[in-house]
Amino acid sequence: MNIYVYLLRRTLYIIPVILGVTFLIFILFNIVAGDPTPLLLGRHATVEQIAELHHQLGLDKPLYAQYFDIVKSAFTFDFGRSWATKQEISQMIIKGAGPSLSITLPAFFIATIMSVIISLVASYYRGGKIDIVVRFCCIAGQSISSMAYILFFQKILAFKFGWFEISGYEFGFPEMIPFILLPIIIDIVLSVGPDVRFYRTVILDEIYQDYVRTARAKGLSELVILFKHVLKNAMIPIITYVIIQLPFLILGALLLESFFSIPGLGGITLNALNSSDFPVIKAMAVLSAVAYIIFSLLTDILYTVVDPRVRLK
Amino acid sequence: MKKWLSVVCLFALMGGFTACTKKKNTSEKVLNLVTPAKFSGYDPAFAADLYAGNETTRVYEGLLEYHYLKRPYVLQPNLAEAMPSVSADGLTYTFKILKGVMFHDSPAFPGGTGRELVAKDFVYSFKRLADPKLQSTGWWLFDGKIKGLNEWRKKYENAAAVNYDDEIDGLKAVDANTLEITLSKPFPQFLYSLAMPFTVVVAREAVEHFGKEFLNHPVGTAAFMLKEYDQSNTITYLRNPKFREKFYPSEGEESDKANGLLENAGKKIPFVDKVVVQIMVEDQPRWLNLQKGSVDYAAIPKDNFSSVVQADKTISKDLADKGMSLVWAPQLDVTYIAFNHDNKLFKDNLKLRRAMSLAYDEVKGNELFYNGTGLSAQSVVPPGIAGFVKDFKNPWRQYNLEEAKKLLAEAGYPGGKGLPKMTYDTTSNTVSRQMGEFFAKGMEAIGIKVEVVSNTWPELVKKTNNKSTMLFGIAWGADYPDAENFLQLLYCPNKAPGSNSSNYCNAEFDKIFAKASVMQDSPERTALYEQAYKMAADQVPWIFGLHRTSFVVKHNWLKNFKLTEFTHGLEKYLDVDTNIKTENSKKL
Repeated sequence: MNIYVYLLRRTLYIIPVILGVTFLIFILFNIVAGDPTPLLLGRHATVEQIAELHHQLGLDKPLYAQYFDIVKSAFTFDFGRSWATKQEISQMIIKGAGPSLSITLPAFFIATIMSVIISLVASYYRGGKIDIVVRFCCIAGQSISSMAYILFFQKILAFKFGWFEISGYEFGFPEMIPFILLPIIIDIVLSVGPDVRFYRTVILDEIYQDYVRTARAKGLSELVILFKHVLKNAMIPIITYVIIQLPFLILGALLLESFFSIPGLGGITLNALNSSDFPVIKAMAVLSAVAYIIFSLLTDILYTVVDPRVRLK
Repeated sequence: MKKWLSVVCLFALMGGFTACTKKKNTSEKVLNLVTPAKFSGYDPAFAADLYAGNETTRVYEGLLEYHYLKRPYVLQPNLAEAMPSVSADGLTYTFKILKGVMFHDSPAFPGGTGRELVAKDFVYSFKRLADPKLQSTGWWLFDGKIKGLNEWRKKYENAAAVNYDDEIDGLKAVDANTLEITLSKPFPQFLYSLAMPFTVVVAREAVEHFGKEFLNHPVGTAAFMLKEYDQSNTITYLRNPKFREKFYPSEGEESDKANGLLENAGKKIPFVDKVVVQIMVEDQPRWLNLQKGSVDYAAIPKDNFSSVVQADKTISKDLADKGMSLVWAPQLDVTYIAFNHDNKLFKDNLKLRRAMSLAYDEVKGNELFYNGTGLSAQSVVPPGIAGFVKDFKNPWRQYNLEEAKKLLAEAGYPGGKGLPKMTYDTTSNTVSRQMGEFFAKGMEAIGIKVEVVSNTWPELVKKTNNKSTMLFGIAWGADYPDAENFLQLLYCPNKAPGSNSSNYCNAEFDKIFAKASVMQDSPERTALYEQAYKMAADQVPWIFGLHRTSFVVKHNWLKNFKLTEFTHGLEKYLDVDTNIKTENSKKL
């Protein structure tokens, strides 16, 4: 099948997925969550004011019309204004994506490269002391909550040692550097544990394959076997794992951004959750769904590049 | 050799890290403030919460304001020349507006230069609160109070657009500097409304020029102008070079002189050139930034309280050595556990209410949740407001399990038998839930079973509006320093969805309240307030909690700082001593 037909078909898949996501959002916010107007109007709201605001927000429309409004906003990407900050949500997303990416993108790249290297080394020494230490560190590191890392690193590295800024953000390069370094380091620390465990398993799966034994029999060095043959074959699960994380990079890191006062999408989402800012939560849910679909499509295409045996149908 | 190389590398790395922080300039007159929440922009019509109010009033001003130093709180003219003249029937208030006050420069004005403030601007600004298309959260201030305003609002409810040029009987700009406000009924608390962020003055040109983006482009008359607010977590204000001649107060409380709060008496304000406000949602970064000197003052997080505040309400030695000090003051608020009087179980069951009140160990609750800093509430009005009865002890407000059990038996429920399982609704945050559990445990001691139900804030509001709770824990902070603002919480016509969310009704109480609430401040009115205060204590409409205390740690370089309940416009009085700052920053 022609790759363009495949792409078209996958792109069209976005429609039912968005319909599904918006339906879930609709059930959660328009039916389960209840009436947001008392929150918007404050403690002195009168019954008349609540009725008027219902009208303005379209909450007095029949349910199917309210659902249609949400679907429409998902396809037009016009989510209106935030209830909490009264800002236009599309602008909030545009302005918030940069600060989020300035932390998650470098952290993601460094963490991925580090994890793959550590996994290869651990696999090389599988069962040996280095492998045991790596596994122990990964499991121990993962057992501690991300909040604990943030609180500890911020207090010790930024406050006690004064190596980094405690919190804040400045737009522009290199102005942002003092503010993003510590969040990036924490993000890397948080990611390396689970990443290494996953990559190590994937690589070990390959190490026991017949072709590795053949390569050894041919007398190839372990390094060549690991980096040239094993890594190449382990690429498919690694790519899947990597790309599936990409859409979430733009959504930022919820707690990190909140604790370091980074004006990114993670902080915006957390703030929206805490203040029941439904339009923002809806927008972020739709955004993540769309990003997820796009990146999983990208994964499929990359498979064909990495492994010519894979065909898109 | 390798080992030494590693050590050298480590030090090099650490050296590199030290360059990862920004150098602080301690010689600038900059105020560094912190706020714990994002806010809803600079449209005063939506300045409903404390944080929106604070930011809005850094750029905007109203007719009146609270005297910065005097306590109890006193109103004083701000953009008005003097306090208004009031007609004999108490309905018409005439204000003379200050001459020569200029709006900040803005592209909204021809040539970009701010024009002079006139009385018409107030008429326009007040009408915005009533605009049915705008749905201001401040409408309650004027609802039913200004002659003709409700009719004007009604007229445009279903119209496509609102005409601000309509004449309204109760809002008139008599001439460029005279504003006349006529009320539809006497309401002496009205003047407090004019010191609130909702009623600051905006320029019609700016509202129309910026349209929906008005909330990001404030054009006011205040001492500071917005320089930068780009959705980042830092907001920067610069001193308004055209700010009128305004001076630091020369009188205050007795203790103010000793506390150095009158050292700048009579000097021109503002003192600083720039105000930087950082939004920090979490406690830890706020607290750490204060200790590093990046913030001039901050509230103490609950978890740090015991290590910062000593038993005698002084600051810990290590912070004192770093040049910090503690400031504290009681808040104008009351916490309480409300009975829903719409529920038959509580409505006419005074003995049950009293029994439950006696079984609640407020002293322990104060220790657990407020580090023992709260003041036990004997009734509804907090201290510092006329109507609070000093040294009054509410007999039903003391922890007395024996008496509680006796009253419960008299109510027909010996050992709690025959009582249904009660529900206690609260918000879902950890401390609120813990407070609920503590209350439930107290009730268990007399045989009453209470289930704690967590809600999001909108859920709790919905439940109280629907009158579907049994008991719920809540607090009320003053909108203005008048007992009326607290007593109205028990006034029957204000039943849910109004502010009387406990749906308490008592004809005698209502009579006293209705009479007192329309009287001008006088000993007679205070006597009526006190009568209502004692009646509320006796009838136990709620289980009274406490009046909270604010604690703030500040750097000694911050001058003129006094804790106030009404923080609007505070920054114009504050000063930074750059010499002390340079010196003390070395210790941080």
